[in-house]
Amino acid sequence: MRNLLIVCFMILLLPAIGQSPSGLLQEVNVKFSTVKTYSAGLNLEFDIPGVKVDPIKGDVFYKAPKKFRIKTKGIIFLPKQNPYEAILLLSDSNSYVAVKMADETVSNVKTTVINVLPKKQADFIVGKFWIDPVNKLVLKSEITTQANGTLVTNYAYGAMAKNALPDKMELTFDVAKFKVPKAVAVDINSKTKAGDTKSKGTGNVKFTFTNYVVNKNIDDKVFTE
Amino acid sequence: MLVKLTLNELYKILAKPRSYIGFLAITTIIMLIEFALYVDGKNYIGFIFQALEQTVIIQGEILNGSLVCFIILQTLIIQMPLLVALVTGDLISGEMASGTIRLLATRPVSRGQILWSKILAGGIYVFALLFWLGLLALGGGLLFFGTGDLTVLKTDELVILRESDVIWRFISAFGVAFISLLLVASFSLMLSCFTDNSIGPIIMAMSVIVLFTIIGTMEVPLFDKIKPFLFTTHMVIWRNLFDNPVPKEMVVKSIAVLLGHIGLFLSIAHYKFTKTDIQN
Repeated sequence: MRNLLIVCFMILLLPAIGQSPSGLLQEVNVKFSTVKTYSAGLNLEFDIPGVKVDPIKGDVFYKAPKKFRIKTKGIIFLPKQNPYEAILLLSDSNSYVAVKMADETVSNVKTTVINVLPKKQADFIVGKFWIDPVNKLVLKSEITTQANGTLVTNYAYGAMAKNALPDKMELTFDVAKFKVPKAVAVDINSKTKAGDTKSKGTGNVKFTFTNYVVNKNIDDKVFTE
Repeated sequence: MLVKLTLNELYKILAKPRSYIGFLAITTIIMLIEFALYVDGKNYIGFIFQALEQTVIIQGEILNGSLVCFIILQTLIIQMPLLVALVTGDLISGEMASGTIRLLATRPVSRGQILWSKILAGGIYVFALLFWLGLLALGGGLLFFGTGDLTVLKTDELVILRESDVIWRFISAFGVAFISLLLVASFSLMLSCFTDNSIGPIIMAMSVIVLFTIIGTMEVPLFDKIKPFLFTTHMVIWRNLFDNPVPKEMVVKSIAVLLGHIGLFLSIAHYKFTKTDIQN
């Protein structure tokens, strides 16, 4: 009878352990860690202050734990942070402290908001994750780093949700305002815009992934050439 | 007859050493720019993009043939009208000064035909000058720096045009530049009809272009009202062909203004030349 009570108690306690902030983050990480490599088709759309650039198609390659490469035939603009910075952050559960903050709805899905703080001195100052506790997926993340400011990422999942690979990813990041010297631009008819004195803006890059190929060997040359 | 007259005028242009100054200047400037960018282009690009690269990674080759051609075009576009005026500014007055216009007028052709042969010869010279510019700037640029997306450098923004979207813009830009330089040719030719001094119309045409360009560059509110009426404002419309999307209405309007000016200057030149009592 006593043993039966202990077993019942354990059964009742298990879900509660699973839903702890660290436990939930680990479940998300476990899901993504099944992906050792992947390649996919990619469409990139840009909205960067002071830069007018058309969308472009390309390919994306990933190899665990940190190799990531985008290949396109044209010029692209990317945030300084690795687009998978948020996921990579979760891989070492000993390096951070996770604190549950609240429950919020993101894209009509109820999420658990978890803040992540580094245990030791690290480049990231704070991380914030909006996690779908049912499907164990990160729907939104906000990473603030010392060197590169804040990177907000929104994820939308489709067929590859089982591997925690998003169909769409939208990255929002800080961009310094810049100007081309008039002597370089030789822009005779241009006018100086009044009141345009902001030193910073927010850039946005949308990734749309297609044709995922998961866990198929990728040559390391792809990441260096 | 007009063809023969035009060929004769072209021969006269070719016989003048000053006709080659433009080609020599263009060749020297382009070679210098291409050499400088080939040797030190990475630093030049780094200087322009240093602020942006503090927060963003730029992936892809910015320094390529398209950008080199664009830099050359925007550098030379101020000097090109001066090189054209140097030749077309004395097509009439030069012959007035030397007295050969009387000999020409004794031939069984109308004065209108004489004037038109000079206009056509001037147009062919302008075309040749632009073709040489295009060959060295675009051809040389693509040969030495390769192809790629074009980064259009504007004071307040960068416009990145995809490789497949670039060549037609360059061809159109050369087309608009041809109309602009034809305007300069017709303006200097018109001035040339009013004097028998060879140098006067050249200096006058150059002065007007420099003055209008300075007014166009200065950001003084008073000048803002004048700018739309200056032909130099519309001569740089080729740059807007590298906007995305192209401001079609603005480009068409500017081309119409340029063609209107050409029509006006040639009409005045025709009237003056056919009515002039040639006494030299």
